[in-house]
Amino acid sequence: MADVLTVAGLKAYYQTNYFGVQREVRAVDDISITVRADEVYGIAGESSSGKTTLIKTFAGAIHPPLRIVGGSMRYRFDGQEIDPYAVSAEELNRLRWRHVSYIMQGSMSVLNPVRRIHRSFADFAFSHMDLPKARFWQAVEEHLERLSLSPDVLRGYPHELSGGMRQRVTIALATVCRPGFIIADEPTTALDVVVQKDVLALLDDIRRTLKSSVVFVTHDMSVHANMADRIGIMYAGRIVEEGPTRALFTAPKHPYTAHLVASLPRIGDATRKPALGGRPPALSDPPGGCRFHPRCPLAIDKCRTEVPPLETVGADHRSACWRSAEVEPLTPPSGASGEEVA
Amino acid sequence: MRTYGFFVLKRFGQLLIVVFLGVSATFFITHLSPLDPVEQTMGRLTRQSGFSPEAQEAMRAALTELYGTDKPLLEQFYSFWSRLVRGDMGPSLLAFPTPALRLVKRALPWTVGLLTTTVLITWTVGNLLGGLAGYFQNSRLLKAFGVFAIGVQPIPYYIVAFIMLILFGFLWPVLPISGGAGMFVEPGWNIHYALSIVHHSILPASSIVVVGLGTWFLGMRALVSNVVTEDYVTYAEFGGVESRKIVGSYVIRNAMIPQLTALAMVLGGVFSGTIITEEVFSYPGVGTLLIDAVNAGDYTLVLAVTSISIATVATAIFVIDLLYPLLDPRVRVR
Repeated sequence: MADVLTVAGLKAYYQTNYFGVQREVRAVDDISITVRADEVYGIAGESSSGKTTLIKTFAGAIHPPLRIVGGSMRYRFDGQEIDPYAVSAEELNRLRWRHVSYIMQGSMSVLNPVRRIHRSFADFAFSHMDLPKARFWQAVEEHLERLSLSPDVLRGYPHELSGGMRQRVTIALATVCRPGFIIADEPTTALDVVVQKDVLALLDDIRRTLKSSVVFVTHDMSVHANMADRIGIMYAGRIVEEGPTRALFTAPKHPYTAHLVASLPRIGDATRKPALGGRPPALSDPPGGCRFHPRCPLAIDKCRTEVPPLETVGADHRSACWRSAEVEPLTPPSGASGEEVA
Repeated sequence: MRTYGFFVLKRFGQLLIVVFLGVSATFFITHLSPLDPVEQTMGRLTRQSGFSPEAQEAMRAALTELYGTDKPLLEQFYSFWSRLVRGDMGPSLLAFPTPALRLVKRALPWTVGLLTTTVLITWTVGNLLGGLAGYFQNSRLLKAFGVFAIGVQPIPYYIVAFIMLILFGFLWPVLPISGGAGMFVEPGWNIHYALSIVHHSILPASSIVVVGLGTWFLGMRALVSNVVTEDYVTYAEFGGVESRKIVGSYVIRNAMIPQLTALAMVLGGVFSGTIITEEVFSYPGVGTLLIDAVNAGDYTLVLAVTSISIATVATAIFVIDLLYPLLDPRVRVR
């Protein structure tokens, strides 16, 4: 499979300078990943681990104080390579929506409250679709119907829709140009579980039809288990483990992943979940060596001084741990746990 | 769901109640004051020429009869309203026997003309510039304007009026400093008269505009710098929506909603707000008329001026209220 997005050694820091006091928050620190065509790549990690910052850099939606400090990023669409940070503003705009679209965190408030929904569709999609007006509206209505939304929603205002409807409309808006790459930031966090399931099914359905890649971020491991083909686990601004969903859930090779997976409740399991002591480090002053070492039960002296590289530990499976060979799953894998947590 | 028509009707009912209560309050305030209009007029009439005591007595009786001041207050109140709905407010005492309403009618176009133009110019330009300044925070020109606005905005408008009077009336005398139009220009619908009006209004109008512009600019800039952090603006920027559309339909459009409320409130204060400006530039408007009426103790005229201002202000706010649901779809018409 071809790679759609290749990221190498990407560093994005928040740099502030107030009254001569300089602060640097290393939200994305030396990240290298690739996203392949027609796959779902999940990014997991706790709050303030840099997930949202990472996909903001993917989306090219960077504003000071956030700056790209190093590394490279390349999209490949129709055999053409595009570096979103090297092209002109117009070229970047052409890339947007047509190739890369974004479902933002907090979809409740991403639609202009004083504009009818059809105008939002016109604003976002019309200039990117190169269609005459009548054909454009026909395409929009067909697309809405595919998402089982009535074209009547176009005439309404955002506040007239329920939360679930609004999220569906946002997904429709983000996919109407049939983009090859969809970035979704916590697409279901504000929804209740029932609506959440529908919205995820919808997103998956759309992706299969369009054959596009999806990168999505959530801290909810059960959503990852359901949606992702591969998962990257982020901790304190770095990817600590990356691998196929099943391998990650059954045989994690990083102690942090092992704890994250073990925190998932299983049906019929009444045992207490082992909690991890301590808190995630401040990204303005991360600890040296492996950033997880202060909380890691397996930490040795080497972990405190040397940064472990992300190394291959299995088929398509990489982990950044000096002792990855000794990491054991915290709960015995009972068959395909991926399905169980669903 | 009730219709917009019902809302208009209901709101119109409220307008009538407000006008009735406001005008009635002014009526009681003037009539309960120790000023006796009969004695005021007598004093003015008998000052120069020597009338015989009998003549004075007859005059006093005639005036009392005319004003009806010997009747009980409630009866006066009733007859005041029954005359008012027929469009009669009684004669002005200052310019007896000209009806007070005719004096107000003569002065009203000057004030309303001066105010609507200045308020609309200030509101539109101030909000537009403020909106742009809030969105394009790195523009040097708009930053400079912000500094200017902060400097000018706290100066009282009458001080600005005096400064402009000195600058353009005496140091560099290029603009007329008093009156509403040239004395020797034929009034009427002709171009010379219109130009003369515009020429005479430049100083009073710009003294109001300069101060008001700063206020609207600063308010809008603050509102916009909040709106730009809203998700729908960030999202539109990411979605490659034209930046002109983002500024207009996303940012300014949303920030404008509270500014419209503020406009209604400012309109409530304009009549009192221009009194000093009109006095400084001897502008033949309602403000000057009101000051003369108060000085002369002409309380039918005071009553006429205040009643008209109450009705005008209430109507202006009524119109803005009607616009509000059209501007913000989230406001439910009740």
